[in-house]
Amino acid sequence: MLAGGGVLSGCSGSGGSGSGDASGSGVAPKVTPGPKTAGVLYPPDYVGPIARDLKPITTEKVKFSIVVPQDLKVGDWSTNAFTKWLEQRTGIHIDFRQVASGDDMMTKVNAMIAAGDIPDAFLAVPWSRSQLYLFGQQGLFPDLSAHIDGYAVNLQQAMKDYPDSRKLMQAPDKKIYSFPSYNDCYHCRAGRGRAYLNTQWVEKVGLATPKTTDEFRELLTAFKKADLGGNGRTIPFAGYKDSPLDTYFMNSFLYNPGEPWLFVKDGKVDVTFNKDEWREGLKFIHGLYADGLINKDAFTADSDQMRKYGTTPGQAIVGGARVYSLGEFLDVASTDPNARYRQYTAVPPLEGPNGVRQATWDYFGALGVGTLVITKKCQRPELLVQWADCQMELQAILRSSFGPQGPNTWQWAKAGDLGLEGKQAIYRQNYDWANTTGQFWDQYGVLYRSRGYRSGERYNSKGNALEKGLLDDTQKYYEPYKQPQEMQFPPVALDQDQAAQEAELSTNLNSEVNLSFAKFVTGRLDPNDDTAWNDYKDRVTKIGLKSYLEVQQAGYEAYHG
Amino acid sequence: MSTTEMNLAPDDRRLGTGAPIQDTRSDKIAVACIYTALGLFCLAILYPIVYVASASVSNTSKVAAGEVWLWPVGFTLDAYKAIFDYKSIVTGFGNSVFYAVAGALVATVLTLLAAYPLSRKGLPGKGLIMAAFVFTMMFSGGLIPTYLVVDQLGLLNTRWAMILPAALAVWNVIITRTYFMVTIPEELVEAGKVDGCSDFGFFWRIVLPLSKPIIAVNLLFYAVGQWNSFFNALIYLTNEHLFPLQVILRQILIQSKVDPSQMADTSKLMHLKELQEQLKYSLIVIGMIPPLLVYPFVQKHFVKGAMVGSLKG
Repeated sequence: MLAGGGVLSGCSGSGGSGSGDASGSGVAPKVTPGPKTAGVLYPPDYVGPIARDLKPITTEKVKFSIVVPQDLKVGDWSTNAFTKWLEQRTGIHIDFRQVASGDDMMTKVNAMIAAGDIPDAFLAVPWSRSQLYLFGQQGLFPDLSAHIDGYAVNLQQAMKDYPDSRKLMQAPDKKIYSFPSYNDCYHCRAGRGRAYLNTQWVEKVGLATPKTTDEFRELLTAFKKADLGGNGRTIPFAGYKDSPLDTYFMNSFLYNPGEPWLFVKDGKVDVTFNKDEWREGLKFIHGLYADGLINKDAFTADSDQMRKYGTTPGQAIVGGARVYSLGEFLDVASTDPNARYRQYTAVPPLEGPNGVRQATWDYFGALGVGTLVITKKCQRPELLVQWADCQMELQAILRSSFGPQGPNTWQWAKAGDLGLEGKQAIYRQNYDWANTTGQFWDQYGVLYRSRGYRSGERYNSKGNALEKGLLDDTQKYYEPYKQPQEMQFPPVALDQDQAAQEAELSTNLNSEVNLSFAKFVTGRLDPNDDTAWNDYKDRVTKIGLKSYLEVQQAGYEAYHG
Repeated sequence: MSTTEMNLAPDDRRLGTGAPIQDTRSDKIAVACIYTALGLFCLAILYPIVYVASASVSNTSKVAAGEVWLWPVGFTLDAYKAIFDYKSIVTGFGNSVFYAVAGALVATVLTLLAAYPLSRKGLPGKGLIMAAFVFTMMFSGGLIPTYLVVDQLGLLNTRWAMILPAALAVWNVIITRTYFMVTIPEELVEAGKVDGCSDFGFFWRIVLPLSKPIIAVNLLFYAVGQWNSFFNALIYLTNEHLFPLQVILRQILIQSKVDPSQMADTSKLMHLKELQEQLKYSLIVIGMIPPLLVYPFVQKHFVKGAMVGSLKG
């Protein structure tokens, strides 16, 4: 890539005259947002990306090398339709270096770094916050705060829309080592506390949707007794290994966010899995399991097995399930009004014996860090920052997600089109993911998908009914029961020593807690037996719970500090 | 049996050649056990192949529902048609074939050139060279240093990165050397020399024609090794047009194992599942075919070459 001054008109209207200099932080923006694109409709009170007419960032011939994951849908990054559009729009040429994706991606990335074979940036490489902090401190990744403040107009807007953004983007040293991406999936915030019941079955046994743990148990017992699946095959409630049971059931006893089971109370970080309420929860789940109300292989079944339970030929055999969404065990592609998945609806959290009724809620999931990581090799980071910022503009997001504008991909909505939350829609989406290749970046790029944007998609009973269903039941059944934000342990970044300690302790703790949870539920350990419970607490303590909590406390304080 | 018959004197023929020698009871039991064990092994190997082949031509929802267990249910070739929608799969297949063929050729030539001198008595420093070879079987420079070497040789992100690094397998050199030691006696070399044959001439005109089995074995070992490997591609290649099939196959299998809790988009998760269900089995079949096609042609050499090489090592 080339260095040197030049005309920066920003990825947005008429820009300031800043050249490459962007030192001091908190600087006034050097570029201003471009004019809004005419003819695009927004719902009232809309919060999210805006379509704007933009001019190229630069007229120089610049190019950057960026490492990206290889993907079947994106195809060849350099000939991808969105790549070409973005290049035309920004004036910046990118040489993509595609790395095989998957678990081994970091092996390759680490080899490149160790060998000094460093690109200008990494896009969509799964960095952890602690890795970003580590490499940032080593000087491999420069601090982007000044560039973000000076040039990233769309990101600035997003940071205003999501007030926690800066805290979440910053490393403990208050620097920002990556350009983030937003994907505010409203229903995912409730995903861990989600469960489903077969409403046809509920009617058949003549009971109401359960509100308490006792009613829930009564209902499952009735399912079993009536054997609605036939031939004794009935599974009153199903779970499988990718979808933990504790995140639903335990919230009737205490707030439990699930692995790694951390929560904050009065500024102190603590864990849920050694509390007496946890034990009460274990007794309840064990009771269900012992009565044959949960499938025997709830801890070992894989997703294929779960699908077999859900899609048995003939009639349904599953009365309810702890899953993030129906697609995990049912065939949800069908538009048939009698399709089996329509029998199932989400159930709100249950009220436990002591009146606890919570749905674990994720307050921090909308922002992802590490999406675009610029390295010290890049001589014009401010240009790459603007390049990334351009992708947060509404039209760019749509193209990046669905491909070029058109009747078979996406179009601007017409007045009167209604979005998923019943307000004016912004766009219609009609693309065929399965048969599209080389047209879009399939969510690898920098995005700003706010809740308003996501529900600004026109509702279409054939295309996104499932998404709407998730949205509606989250609003109705889960959000009212969410825990206060200050109870959730935020995503923290640890320094190198802490991270190493945390990695070891959390591996051991997580496996111990998961294993013991399974044992207590299946009856290999008896939750009613004091000795078994105390032994378990001892084991957890011995693994190093205290130092683990100290590390997390330090991370938590750095986050707030 | 046949040797016994051949040794019979003509007069003895009337004793009846048709009557086989009766197996003893214990023989019968042993034979039965052997057949059962081999049958089970055979089944254990055949069943997954048949299942994958059946699943690849079945309706994907029937496969997901577990209705396919041996024969195809709801026959369809959609999965194979879908493969052609993905350019990277087609180029990946072509690349894999190229790497397997080129890699096998280069590696076999190197192996023969290394193994033959080491099989001869007169080579000075033979022990040392052999020790150096064997040393690399146990110790290697590790990932990063190897990466640096590949980088500085300018091989990074070229087809050579798939062929040259670790082209030679010491194991194969040892087998090949032993084969030469056993089948090409020193006397033959001396005879050649007496007739005025140079070392290269001897190697070219006498050793190679006598070594077809071991050449076939080497080609097969290396080709199959290349065909199945993905790690070098993962580490050294950053250009989609160079990726072999295994990298693509791996990506499809891994990517669809997405943690549902991490998935912000239910529709994308569903799509990924569909994609996997659709392509998984047909891709495995495609990945299986070339080695299956090659095996029968080399098999007769294979047993002979590998056995001679492995004995008397």
